[in-house]
Amino acid sequence: MTAPMVRNGVVIDDGFAEAFPMKATRIVITAHNLDWARHAATAATGFATSVIACGCEAGIERELAADETPDGRPGLCVLLFSMSGKELAKQLERRVGQCVLTCPTTAVYAGLDEGEAIPLGKNLRFFGDGWQTSKVIAGVRYWRVPVMDGEFVAQETTAVTKGVGGGNLLLLARDTDAALAAAEAAVAAMRRLRGVIMPFPGGVVRSGSKVGSKYVSLPASTNDAFCPSLVGLVAKTELDARIRCVMEIVIDGLTEQAVGEAMRVGMLAGIEIGAAGGLLRISAGNYGGKLGPFHFHLHKLLAPEGAR
Amino acid sequence: MSRTRLMLKQRHGLRIDLRGITPTVCAGLGVAQIERLQVSQGNRALALAELFAVSREDGEADELRLEGDLSSCDRVGWQMDGGLLVAEGSVGDHAGGCMRAGELQVHGDAGLLAACEMAGGLLTVQGDVGDFAASTLPGSMDGMRGGSLVVRGHAGARFADRMRRGTAVVFGDVGDFVASRMVAGTVAIGGMAGAHPAYGMRRGTLVFAGRGPDVSPTFVPALASAEVFWQLLSRDLARHGGPFAGLPARRIQRHLGDLGVDGKGELIVVT
Repeated sequence: MTAPMVRNGVVIDDGFAEAFPMKATRIVITAHNLDWARHAATAATGFATSVIACGCEAGIERELAADETPDGRPGLCVLLFSMSGKELAKQLERRVGQCVLTCPTTAVYAGLDEGEAIPLGKNLRFFGDGWQTSKVIAGVRYWRVPVMDGEFVAQETTAVTKGVGGGNLLLLARDTDAALAAAEAAVAAMRRLRGVIMPFPGGVVRSGSKVGSKYVSLPASTNDAFCPSLVGLVAKTELDARIRCVMEIVIDGLTEQAVGEAMRVGMLAGIEIGAAGGLLRISAGNYGGKLGPFHFHLHKLLAPEGAR
Repeated sequence: MSRTRLMLKQRHGLRIDLRGITPTVCAGLGVAQIERLQVSQGNRALALAELFAVSREDGEADELRLEGDLSSCDRVGWQMDGGLLVAEGSVGDHAGGCMRAGELQVHGDAGLLAACEMAGGLLTVQGDVGDFAASTLPGSMDGMRGGSLVVRGHAGARFADRMRRGTAVVFGDVGDFVASRMVAGTVAIGGMAGAHPAYGMRRGTLVFAGRGPDVSPTFVPALASAEVFWQLLSRDLARHGGPFAGLPARRIQRHLGDLGVDGKGELIVVT
């Protein structure tokens, strides 16, 4: 039996997060200023917390300075993940069409170079009702669609790559304040990384789920083993009497390495708060390792770099 | 990889047609085979060795170098599909015509119809080009349809006539009817233009980085900003340097037309 790992009073479970392959893309949204780029990106990534019912999982990856974008304006990188390339293409087109094309001064570009191409402005151009024009610049085709503030510029396609979805951390704390503080610190640390998003509101989900339900029509239901309100009621609980609140952070990333690194820095942020701050345990959700090919073992992630 | 050198033995009165002499063709052949390649001079077919001295050396890419007075050599780089072709001096007509890929460098002037119906690759002319560069072959409907043409000198009349795709850049002046009947693509002029620029232009972009032309009354001034598009285009043009180097920082006036035809083209004057 291995000795329990305890860091700053926080017990680290000897378990792993189980993640799945997803289709992913990155787009770059620019605008006259960062506020308008953020309006567009926020709208385009709205209602995109889980593929269970949203069609895709999406979030803002990071801000881009003016000298990092194709048109020299400030912008944001947005990542979108879905279970199939076809669904991803559908979600991308709807979201860019309704939330970016409509937003004042915006333009949209591909954020990935390599991978299967899916339409970005390719079909949205028809909004131009025949007045749209294309331009190939340095081998890349852009569409210019006349709109009321001038023109909407969109790169014709973006690329789809294989991503990793469902990396997660469960933060088990003594009360709501402590759980939120640990989750917020972990999300803040993860957001400094590239190639990952935390798609739930504020990056945190309180309704962690298990696969299946007593109701046959539901594909997922509450993760009763981690519900403090069900301690003593359910046949198997993961909690003890000290734990009164659990928060989960779900991580989607462009690569396995990016997800693992996000989990690592998230755990370190929680450990820094420590048991004195109310964080008692860190765990992770999995399905026994039989469903997802990516396993992120918490102890391995916290091991010294050479030992991982 | 190899470098093939063709040295023209002497200047000829009759035109020499070099179609078929491309870097990819020569790269796959030995010197003796290259010497037996057929070229035409006037109405005669000759072995290449009767006109050129052929030599071969190791190189980093499939490279073909033409040396000597090449002004009587037409169709240099005709239908070229890869590799690097360097002409060490001025060449005749149809240089880079119908080329699809690779790079053609002309260290001098090019004659009529340079880059006509060019579909890909890069053609750089250090000197001037004659009339109908980047345009159509006589009787054809589409002109240049891809790739990049960079002329560091001046260009003649009907530059980019019926051009459909690609980028054609002239550092100096152009003659009359530049971008006439243009279907699409990008033309950028560093100097001045002759009469009737963009006559019958359907779509595409004609940029004047130097002095703006007299704009035809069949063009209307654009009221809306196209700053995003301009930043994308001007940053790409700026890499050519010369009169285009500072374009992203400069402001523009746009004119839309030609209303006599489709009217979706734009004439951009840098102020």
